[in-house]
Amino acid sequence: MAAAIGSSIGKSFARLESRDKVTGRADYTHHLRLPGMLYGKIFRSTLPHARIKRVDTSAASALEGVYQVVTIDDIRKVIPNPYYGPAFHDQPILADGKVRFAGEPVAVVLAFDKRIAEEALGLIEVEYEELPGVFDEVEAMTSTTLVHDELKPAATFPDLAHLKGRKATNVALDYKLRRGDTERAFAEADHVFEHTFRAQQVMHTPMEPFVSIADFKDGQLTLHTASQGPSFVRIEIARLLGLPENRVRVKVPFLGGGFGGKLYIKLEALVTALSVIVRRPVKIALTMEEQFFMVTRHPCTFTIKSGVTKDGKITARHCEVVWNGGAYADIGPRVTQKGGFTSAGPYDIENVTINSYAVYTNRPPCGALRGFGAPQTAWAYECHTDLIAQALGIDKIEFRRKNMLREGRPQASGTPLRDAEVERAMDQVLDRLQWNKPLDRGTGRIRRGRGIAIGFKGITAPTTSVAIVNMYGDGSCGLYIGTVDMGQGSDTVMAQIAGEVLNIDPTTIRVIHPDTDVTPYDMGTLGSRSTFHMGNAVRAAADDAKSKIAALARELGLPEGSNVPLSELLRRRYGMQAGNIIGTGSFIPDYEKPDTETGQTTKGTPFWGVGAAGAEVEIDTETGQLTILKLINVADVGTALNPMAVRQQLSGSGIMQLGHTITENMVFRDGQLTNGSLADYKIPSLLDMPVEYINEHVPNAYDKAGPFGAKGTGESTSIALSPAIGNAVADAIGVQIMDLPITAESIYRALQKANGTPLAED
Amino acid sequence: MTLTAWGVCSLHIVRGPRASAKGCDLASFELLEPRSLGEAFALLDSDDPAVRPFGGGTALMLMMKAQIFKPVRLVSLRLLGGPLHGIELAADKSAFRIGAMTTFAELEHSPDIRAHLPVVTQTMLTLANVRVRNVATIGGNLAHGDPHLDLPPVWTALDAKVRIASKAGERTIPVQELFAGYYETTLKHGEIITGIDVPVRPKWTSHYAKVTTRAQHDWPALGLAVSAQFDGKRINDIRVVLSAAVDRPSRMKGAEAVLRGAEIDDAVLSRAADAALGEVHIESDLRGSADYKQHLLRVHLGRAVKALSPRGDQATIQRA
Repeated sequence: MAAAIGSSIGKSFARLESRDKVTGRADYTHHLRLPGMLYGKIFRSTLPHARIKRVDTSAASALEGVYQVVTIDDIRKVIPNPYYGPAFHDQPILADGKVRFAGEPVAVVLAFDKRIAEEALGLIEVEYEELPGVFDEVEAMTSTTLVHDELKPAATFPDLAHLKGRKATNVALDYKLRRGDTERAFAEADHVFEHTFRAQQVMHTPMEPFVSIADFKDGQLTLHTASQGPSFVRIEIARLLGLPENRVRVKVPFLGGGFGGKLYIKLEALVTALSVIVRRPVKIALTMEEQFFMVTRHPCTFTIKSGVTKDGKITARHCEVVWNGGAYADIGPRVTQKGGFTSAGPYDIENVTINSYAVYTNRPPCGALRGFGAPQTAWAYECHTDLIAQALGIDKIEFRRKNMLREGRPQASGTPLRDAEVERAMDQVLDRLQWNKPLDRGTGRIRRGRGIAIGFKGITAPTTSVAIVNMYGDGSCGLYIGTVDMGQGSDTVMAQIAGEVLNIDPTTIRVIHPDTDVTPYDMGTLGSRSTFHMGNAVRAAADDAKSKIAALARELGLPEGSNVPLSELLRRRYGMQAGNIIGTGSFIPDYEKPDTETGQTTKGTPFWGVGAAGAEVEIDTETGQLTILKLINVADVGTALNPMAVRQQLSGSGIMQLGHTITENMVFRDGQLTNGSLADYKIPSLLDMPVEYINEHVPNAYDKAGPFGAKGTGESTSIALSPAIGNAVADAIGVQIMDLPITAESIYRALQKANGTPLAED
Repeated sequence: MTLTAWGVCSLHIVRGPRASAKGCDLASFELLEPRSLGEAFALLDSDDPAVRPFGGGTALMLMMKAQIFKPVRLVSLRLLGGPLHGIELAADKSAFRIGAMTTFAELEHSPDIRAHLPVVTQTMLTLANVRVRNVATIGGNLAHGDPHLDLPPVWTALDAKVRIASKAGERTIPVQELFAGYYETTLKHGEIITGIDVPVRPKWTSHYAKVTTRAQHDWPALGLAVSAQFDGKRINDIRVVLSAAVDRPSRMKGAEAVLRGAEIDDAVLSRAADAALGEVHIESDLRGSADYKQHLLRVHLGRAVKALSPRGDQATIQRA
């Protein structure tokens, strides 16, 4: 679609890359083969917690076609301290004397033929001394079984700089927030309610599994990797190798989904070590099944307690949130912090205490997954909201309105709510659900109900984005950014922002994909930050280019406002088609580090992610079967820069969260994953879509700090969806489900328990 | 004998035996395509379990990719022609003779099947997907022995018989006698399924309920195939088959006995469910606890029998 000048914002441009994607021509790391490249296949531990007594790789090494079998002993020769991680340097590149979860990489077989590498895996023998394991997050809080004997903070990110962990425990981080006098307020409250909710372990399930290629030669490393954070990869790999950043090059093409999984360091440290050892390119591509052992979403146990006056004002809230981080911290401490930060919900409560703990267990590691903990906490606080209203006999909507955090009022951390359309989002959901009309509640074994939920999240801070706009001699434009287009449409939206400033048709702008030799720093494509942070940086870079063009025109003696095209300006300046106009821009939001003891800060988040959801459900009470008749998601995205891309983001995130709500669950027995394949771990299919599925943004919302009023969109519909469905189920059957996922069996069990005829525990 | 020999890997075919195919995820093996049953028997005459016949390959390929099965030789039955292909309705319309290499899609789109065994047509819409149905064969489906498959209980309810050939000749057994346990069949070394015979039984009506408990498209927590002949409101004869929740498709003869000769009402259905629960052993798995699946059997047996008489054949995905 051709754009009229200066009209790029708010238009539904088709994705710049859509033709390449549907014709199979888009670049992915999976397609790449380098000359002389070896394939690595990973040998994984079979026990969740054990000391390694002996690794025998001799038979595997002897297999014809095997190039080399690598263990941590080989890696230590090239990387003396082979531990990595964004929050703690706790993860060994391969198991180092101990395995901490079933599925942990212990050795790698390298071969030119990956089938031979795969075959050789069967010839590796490991002798273990089994150790007791700890798997449940609540048990891990006090368990004497320690996953790590020593805690090793990384101190890479300013928001995690205070991390120390608790000595001789499994607690990697405890986040604290204190506001007012919670104990006194509980004592003075007319009613006190306490509930415990649980969220299960789920996986990101990108359709493109993890893949990385490292090519080390002449003291320089090139990584081709499916990563959401090439800049961080470069910093961390340079640290591991003791190289300056300019000796490490990280290139990222399109990603087939990331969802927070492909952040920080994943396969990159391993392929780097292997390539340094063999001095050849090395590729490791995981299978879909292996993804379950890379990174997952934190299971969470959340006990929430509220003091309420008899007329329904919440005066006190205590949140005790325990996050099951698995064997390695990954970015779990930030999840703990960000999830903890908003765990009291979008309510105006004078007295709040929050304790949020990241604990190690012998499960696969957990990290960021679409929402940074907000979905798990909203599941608790919004089901809790309905339970309180129900108990007090107050209308659930009026109860929310009475306590809702409003514009300008301080959230629990002291950061005021700003440009956050919580109430309008809720009202839009109510309108689409036709809340004012009576609901047909069904007859006989069929029961219908409806529910809503609201939620919000803070955004990781402080983080930086840098952008370069390069105008070439003919006036065409290249945009150099580290934002990774992983399906969310960032290339298109960033081109729209640059196009708007520069009066260029955004579809003609070339977006240069991340290559740390070429594109400037970006903290990562994560946590709904790109539109806001990189969008501001791109706008600044485009403004910079624009002012340089104006300066050039002045230099050439042209009158102010003259309309000579850039190509002509450059031709006059250089005498031929030559030269560039390079605009740069960077962005870092205002931020004030929270007080470590109280969590108080006046600038805790660059913007507020806001989502509301509503659901209408039908339940067959004879079997527990759940049908979602209607599902509404409404998000405050500020200005919708590209309304179609926004709708797709909201819808996709909603479907993903629907899976995390009703179908997906990593099931463990004694620390062993029992359903690690897509045949047994069920993501929703088209058949599981709600009968009616509506995704909208709040019209005319505007974030004053965002580019053209925009804010991030990628996670807003992940927050309130689970409790909206949980509340609708409770409305239908009169029983609140406390644990995710909500399955037919869990509904039937809840019904039978309420009827006094509970089913035997399995 | 004339053979075509191929080294095969995924969709990438390389000429020549044991050819290496770089960049593919499977170890090399030979794929042979005999033109006659005799040739097939000769090629399969090996004690090596890595020598196997190959139908549509939809199940085998998954096992190969997962490294559960590493073939040395696959003997494709694709070119055998004649008795292994085709859907034949007897001239007197009393029975179907269906070749083992008939694909699901051929069954799904056969007007004769739709007219006379509508439950089979309808079951197709509950299972796998178009791409799998285009390739999967009914013989391979039976030989796989996976208790979660949807067609075996339907064939059992329809009183179908499976034809099995070997060098020694052909034998015919009821479908339920093919299954010996979890992924186990009574097929003997050197035997190939060549087809099934399905009677067309006037006045019988059938229903298959695929009960899923998680995502709607999933392996069933239980599969329930019911086929009955009515005399007015009275059930003259009935076959009730449970799959998925048990280690093989199993007739529930106790439940059949309660229902046979009865008129359907809630009391009869309750007694039939009691009988069914008494004669099958259900274990907990990812799709549901034993207690829950027993409850589902009670509920869905009743619903399946009730659905029988007035509405003719049906197959549906029943969520939970």
